[in-house]
Amino acid sequence: MSGAKNRMRNKKMRDQPGNVTYSSPGWRNGGDTPAGRTGEAQHVKGHGLPHQGGGWVRGHQSGGSVYPQELPKYITSSYFARARAAEVKAMLKAVNKRTGSCHTFGALPKHMRRRAMSHNTKRLPTRLREGAQRMLEKSLLTGKKKEESKAKSRKARRRHGNLLLEFNRRQRKNMWLETHIWHAKRFHMLKKWGYCLGDRPTFKCYRACYRAMSSHCLLQDLSYYCCVELQGPEEELLSALSRLTSKDAGPTFAAVQCLSGRRQGSVVLYGSDQYPAQPLGPVLFLWRPRCEGSTDRQLWIWGHPTLKQDLLSELRAVCQCSEAVLPVPVHVPVPEPTPAGAAEAAAIPPKGPAQKQASSRKRKRAEQDSDGLPAKKIFGDGTRSPTCPVTWKSALTGIVINDLTMEIVRYRLIGPLSHSVLTEALCPATDCDVEAKNRQSCFWWPEHSKQEQNMALHREQTDVFQLLKGVYSSTEIPGGSVLGLTVDDPRLTLPRMRCKAEPDLQQAIGVDEEKRRALTLQGVPEHCCQSALWDRNVRDNATDNKITEKELNRMRSELLVPGSCLKPTPPQGRVPVLLVHQPGKQLGQEMPSWGAGWDLLLPKGWGMPFWVPLVYRGVRVAGLQMSAKHSQHKGAPHFPHDYPDCIAGARFQDEQQAELMNKFTRRPPGKRTNYIKHGCLAPFRCPWQQLVEEWVEIVKETGEGSDAQTGVETDGVPPRRFSVLRSRKVMRQLSVWCKPSSSKGQRLQRAPQPASLCPATAASLWASHGHSLVWARFSLLAKGRPELHAMVCVPTDEDLRLLSKEPRCMGPQEPLHVDHFRKRVKSARKGKKKKGGKAKGASEEQVVGSDGVAEKPDSTSDPSQRPTEQPSSVPALTQNQEVVSTPSRTSDGDTDATPASVAPSAPAPAPATEERLVLGLWPEPLPSVTSHCSRVTLGWVTQGDFSLAAGCGEALGLVSLTGLLQALLRQPPEQRGLLLLRNPSSLQYRFAKVTIEA
Amino acid sequence: MAEPRSPAPVPPNPVGLPSEGSVVVEMDPVEYTLRKRLPRKLPKRRNDVYVNMKTDFKAQLARCQKLLDGGGTGGHREICIHGLGLAINRAINIALQLQASSQWALQIAANTSTVELVDDLEPEDPDEAGEPITRTRNNSAIHIKVFYPDPQ
Repeated sequence: MSGAKNRMRNKKMRDQPGNVTYSSPGWRNGGDTPAGRTGEAQHVKGHGLPHQGGGWVRGHQSGGSVYPQELPKYITSSYFARARAAEVKAMLKAVNKRTGSCHTFGALPKHMRRRAMSHNTKRLPTRLREGAQRMLEKSLLTGKKKEESKAKSRKARRRHGNLLLEFNRRQRKNMWLETHIWHAKRFHMLKKWGYCLGDRPTFKCYRACYRAMSSHCLLQDLSYYCCVELQGPEEELLSALSRLTSKDAGPTFAAVQCLSGRRQGSVVLYGSDQYPAQPLGPVLFLWRPRCEGSTDRQLWIWGHPTLKQDLLSELRAVCQCSEAVLPVPVHVPVPEPTPAGAAEAAAIPPKGPAQKQASSRKRKRAEQDSDGLPAKKIFGDGTRSPTCPVTWKSALTGIVINDLTMEIVRYRLIGPLSHSVLTEALCPATDCDVEAKNRQSCFWWPEHSKQEQNMALHREQTDVFQLLKGVYSSTEIPGGSVLGLTVDDPRLTLPRMRCKAEPDLQQAIGVDEEKRRALTLQGVPEHCCQSALWDRNVRDNATDNKITEKELNRMRSELLVPGSCLKPTPPQGRVPVLLVHQPGKQLGQEMPSWGAGWDLLLPKGWGMPFWVPLVYRGVRVAGLQMSAKHSQHKGAPHFPHDYPDCIAGARFQDEQQAELMNKFTRRPPGKRTNYIKHGCLAPFRCPWQQLVEEWVEIVKETGEGSDAQTGVETDGVPPRRFSVLRSRKVMRQLSVWCKPSSSKGQRLQRAPQPASLCPATAASLWASHGHSLVWARFSLLAKGRPELHAMVCVPTDEDLRLLSKEPRCMGPQEPLHVDHFRKRVKSARKGKKKKGGKAKGASEEQVVGSDGVAEKPDSTSDPSQRPTEQPSSVPALTQNQEVVSTPSRTSDGDTDATPASVAPSAPAPAPATEERLVLGLWPEPLPSVTSHCSRVTLGWVTQGDFSLAAGCGEALGLVSLTGLLQALLRQPPEQRGLLLLRNPSSLQYRFAKVTIEA
Repeated sequence: MAEPRSPAPVPPNPVGLPSEGSVVVEMDPVEYTLRKRLPRKLPKRRNDVYVNMKTDFKAQLARCQKLLDGGGTGGHREICIHGLGLAINRAINIALQLQASSQWALQIAANTSTVELVDDLEPEDPDEAGEPITRTRNNSAIHIKVFYPDPQ
């Protein structure tokens, strides 16, 4: 209460002149009425009056000498009044002005207060009404600006134009996909890579999504993938692109099947002429089928948005496309083969007059659109600013690079029945009626269908599409097939209820068996891969002339029979699409072609009209989480998570580390995992570079005995950056080596092995690929669920013996480590508290720093602590020597005692790191990562989970090539390929089988 | 089943491939990798059991038994056991075991058929070697109907 009183007093004193004070004892009897205060003021005398001398003392005085004897005999009234003028003025002001609470109703006693008094002054007693009214007006005046923006009613805000404006504002930073609003209602959204993307649905569907993937169909919106278009002479393109790829790592852009346009290819790009260093990342690519009489080819490269900028700059460098074309005249300079698209394409370079007119009209409309209603254009691109150039030309090579990001919608359907969903949802375009054909039309389809060639092609494509009905599983089609098609607006055939698309036996009977067989054997014929979607003019035309939802509903309402199908199809309701088959799992033995499906490419703007009909066919929709799981089940690396050697992958690792660290520090310190005690050096980020370097060191040391030459050769090479091995030949060799001799595959091998695993071959391999990491799959033998950044370790001979004796055994345990940093963290925290402005803290920290060494004997005397452990957990700057000696012992076979007597005196880390100490985490200069634990570390897991597909814990990770070879060499042939996995927050090692799929 | 993919030399013998394929196969056979596609899958009823060699034999037998006995929902009067290639043996084994365990109350009717399988041959060096080859081969399959005879 006294606090409130003080506050009140302060408020009252605000208006007083500076020479007025209240003395607290005097205040007590005064009370808080104005009268009390004025009474108080009477005691108060100003000083500074010359004639009054020092006789007057301000305020109450304790003791008897309150009023000295010498009172003035007389007072000059004018002086007196002048001297007190200020006081009087203040007094008058204070009296007139309402004090207490600045709200009028604050003055009211509680029982007289009413709800919403500030809103309706009539609820106040009359005497207070006036003041309240004034205040209301004042607050209205001041708050006007803020309220005006808020003042829009919900109805106004929901009006279409305003809503679009608001949407545009909200996606200024992170772009929305066309299906954003659909997703935002159902998904947890993430802001990633310049887009708003759905991560996972808000309802529980993890298992259901898996089931959809493996037995029905799962749908994803992949429109955020960036498409880059290259146009130019074929040889020029190939020679330019060949600098970015290497045949060593698999098929390139020039693969015959892909080059003809019949298949979609995938390739890992590298910096120009840099292979195997500087990888950019994996991309998908698709060639447009050759047009008659033209050497110009069109190529689409699809890549992840994090990859795009690097990709673009690299492409521009190799194609020598330095000449940027500004985005404004974007329609003009691109030498489109022809709008009509099909086989006749570049045969007749001058366009028909009708087409010209159509395109010019379209251009006019486009301009109008861009001028008149910019707000309505919600299409665009989140990965670049609107003024950035999107087209680059090269005068030298004739190549044109076009950035088609967000120009093409890409949906991915995963699952064996995805073709049934497509055949049900899409319906090949119907022909236009005769009179419509004779008329001029500004829509692309009537013009397109005037040419007999186009129609013949369309009929063939339709036939192929119908054949899909006779197919029972998407895996029957050759992987990567492409089918061009023109379809009717799928909204017209939308079912009234959501149903589930199943392959229909009745329909299948009508399918020609011979043709179906040809399709499954040879895939789609080349000319059927052509689509009008490749043509920018057609795409724009289809986008601009999309029937709006409103118009469609109006047309439906005018139907004679409600609910019947809209016929004939309106002329603008035809869309060119491309269907691209996605091969499922191709490498490895288990679950071949799991996760196959189709990609559906659409012109922009048509996202939602296709999305809803697909959803109505019973597909399940998933987000980013499931696409990671999809690649995990497929055993394929997922970009950018599993590409630590790419720039984007490194960036991702940084983000992931920050995120994990943030999550870690959010927990209360007592509840955090102490990773030091678990012997986990890097729970949040894997030090790949350090791992690779350490293994090279190890090999150099051990190799000197047997293969001195190779060891010396690698000596001269300066420390290289690590890379991930992608050479198919080496991978294949490794995959054979990883199998135990009793494996089924080995037995069935008809050909003799190219080279069996022996020290000589291994040495030659690590001479050439010493700094490489290998992508591997681990499946746990017994129970256990590997987690992110679990360690991959080499089992000792003893472990293997244990396993062969008892096949279901749990695996060895890591002894608990000692946290030497614990004391230091605690005292540092204490020191920080104590500091409080003193300079003492610094000296204290130094004491602590030296403590690190002093405290060691304590830890060894700890009963729970094995003496062998101690040096490995001590931070060692001289670790390199230790590393060198460690594995040489491991190769002898007595790993258990390995880190025992080494490095007896390791200096404590520099006190500079003191600042960033976090309890339970190793400070920055990490000790040797390989020999930190009782089992030698080979690498880390980048994705791990219980695999619903395999029914056991499965993990994907990267291991050091040299380390893996060493481990394999020392294992008996029948137990080859057995490794240990240990989660960062656990001490339990678990046996896992390693497979390298190539 | 055999390994789907191996760098083994492939005997150049395209069965189901017309015209152009036969020319390509004359090239060095080591340059191809073999990739087997899954056998064609037909829509599955609830009482169809496809036998494979990866799942434990006991588990497959128990599954068939459960279908016949019916776990609370009333079992099927008949089930169909399909086996392909190497798994034919196992399919027969399962059917006979079922019959034996039912004290010969179950009857068996076996059908054999031929299934066309598709192999893809992918060139190792795709830029020069040319088109991948697809060829077909045949494998035997068995379809065993295990059923309770009608009680007349």
